[in-house]
Amino acid sequence: MEKIQITLDINNKPYDVRVYPNDTLLEVLRDELDLTGSKESCGEGVCGSCTVHMDGKPVRSCLTLALEAVGSKIKTVEGLASGEDLSDLQQSFIDHGAVQCGFCTPGMLMSADALLNVNPRPDEKTIRKALAGNICRCTGYAKIVEAVAHAGNPQDHCPDCKTGSKTVSKTKE
Amino acid sequence: MRLPRFDYLEPANLEETLDLLSTHRDDVKILAGGTDLLVRMKKGLLKPKKLISLKALDELSYIKEENGVIKIGSRTSLSDIIHSNLIQKKAEALFQACEKIGAVTIQHCRGTIGGNILQDNRCHHYNQSEFHRSGRQACHKDGGKICYARDEADRCNSTCQSDGATALMAIGANLTLAQKGGERTVDLDNFYTTDGIMPFAMESHELLKEIAIPIQGAKSAYKRLAYRSAIDYPIVCAGVLLKPSDTDKNKIADARIVVGAMGRAPLFLAKASSSLKGKNLTDKDAFKNAADISMNSAAPFAVHNVGATLEYRCDMVFEMVFQALEQAAIAVKK
Ligand SMILES: Cc1cc2nc3c(=O)[nH]c(=O)nc-3n(C[C@H](O)[C@H](O)[C@H](O)COP(=O)(O)OP(=O)(O)OC[C@H]3O[C@@H](n4cnc5c(N)ncnc54)[C@H](O)[C@@H]3O)c2cc1C
Ligand code: SF4
Ligand code: FES
Ligand code: FES
Repeated sequence: MEKIQITLDINNKPYDVRVYPNDTLLEVLRDELDLTGSKESCGEGVCGSCTVHMDGKPVRSCLTLALEAVGSKIKTVEGLASGEDLSDLQQSFIDHGAVQCGFCTPGMLMSADALLNVNPRPDEKTIRKALAGNICRCTGYAKIVEAVAHAGNPQDHCPDCKTGSKTVSKTKE
Repeated sequence: MRLPRFDYLEPANLEETLDLLSTHRDDVKILAGGTDLLVRMKKGLLKPKKLISLKALDELSYIKEENGVIKIGSRTSLSDIIHSNLIQKKAEALFQACEKIGAVTIQHCRGTIGGNILQDNRCHHYNQSEFHRSGRQACHKDGGKICYARDEADRCNSTCQSDGATALMAIGANLTLAQKGGERTVDLDNFYTTDGIMPFAMESHELLKEIAIPIQGAKSAYKRLAYRSAIDYPIVCAGVLLKPSDTDKNKIADARIVVGAMGRAPLFLAKASSSLKGKNLTDKDAFKNAADISMNSAAPFAVHNVGATLEYRCDMVFEMVFQALEQAAIAVKK
């Protein structure tokens, strides 16, 4: 089995890399390209800590071969900030205490970012559904849901954070 | 967790894919979304020498209606199915099932309907790490001669936990299987073997090409039970179809009840289904009776191998079937 030369388009930058057919996208990101933001936890599709975007859609990078990612636009958690400037969503996670140990955070951010890109003002039910594939063992989820709702609705007043937003809008059943 | 080694093949079209399948047969596996296959490979449950990726086969990704039949290409993603107006309106059970599969980020964008139907059966004695399995004798499905789930079983009773297959069987779907130089069509009802080691009556050089659903002027519904509402596989599920009579819209002309995650394949329950013929759509007792018959008919097929006690799962067959019938009846009346 030989390595194959490929180019991956990650965070709008081309990366030339040689991979084995059995390398997952997650392994190539972390071990070959030093993009260690995406985390491996379960390695079998359950936890969501490895979530990245492929062509704007959230996917598990631990269950995606690097070879299958050729030709797609990949976005990882490193692609959220511009330089030292965090994205609104990242800042909102900090402001709302949505990060504890932080291991689930990159995956949570990518699932939330995918949601906000198609639905900038999601209600609680929609947020919970979009994040349902991401497991967090620390926060109890409430803070994460609030952080996403805030990032989606920054104009609303929020007593909890500096940037000024509100707590989550309850779903109308 | 590393994947075992394999060669990766990326055919450009269906013809090339069928050529490769006929050349390599048992040495290859098809890679669609990989959300079932790659997990099993990581656990060392199978080690194909080669994977054939369907990545370039956009020709297998479509949803269309033709002559009263809904046709779905096997590589269509679950997310395309969920967002299809046609499926939402005319194949309700399939829509409701796909929506519940795993979680948005696991299956919906990469997972395909073909891979969903053809995902391997599961068993909590078998779907374990290589390390876990190395500590004891191999079971039938792992190449050995015993079964941990049912004493003295001469065959594997692993469970089919496919949400999609259960819903599709309820709405009377059939599959088109292609191989080099030919095609055949098989009803989902007749697609399963009686052994969980290889649950599908399909050859290694065949490819699932299309799923066809007849539109029958009926309404369908799907209910499932899992530990968590996302991520987890169903431990019981039910798909039902209710067809109203042409002469009296309040009467049931025909019904199909299918129970999933209770056996080696989704179970079409003929006795429970026919008990509804001629009954009124508002007849709750008839629904309860059908749910009761379903429970009794499905119970002997199930073994304790997908979490929760067997007794609980059997009891819940009643609930899933009853709820699905109620939901389908409401849809017919609308
Ligand atoms: C955490 C987790 C939770 C899950 N929860 C659920 C759930 O709740 N319900 C459920 O039903 N499933 C569940 N799944 C299983 C799986 O993700 C889905 O069934 C998915 O739809 C499989 O599709 P895929 O394209 O990824 O299949 P793949 O993994 O690519 O393929 C599955 C099998 O089908 C074969 N195959 C695929 N396409 C073809 C074809 N066209 N012709 C011939 N062979 C083919 C492959 O060789 C392989 O053996 C879950 C998986 C994970 C990891
Ligand atoms: S049902 Fe028995 S033979 Fe089949 S996978 Fe489970 S333990 Fe193994
Ligand atoms: S590491 Fe990919 S889902 Fe857990
Ligand atoms: S913050 Fe620790 S797992 Fe989510």
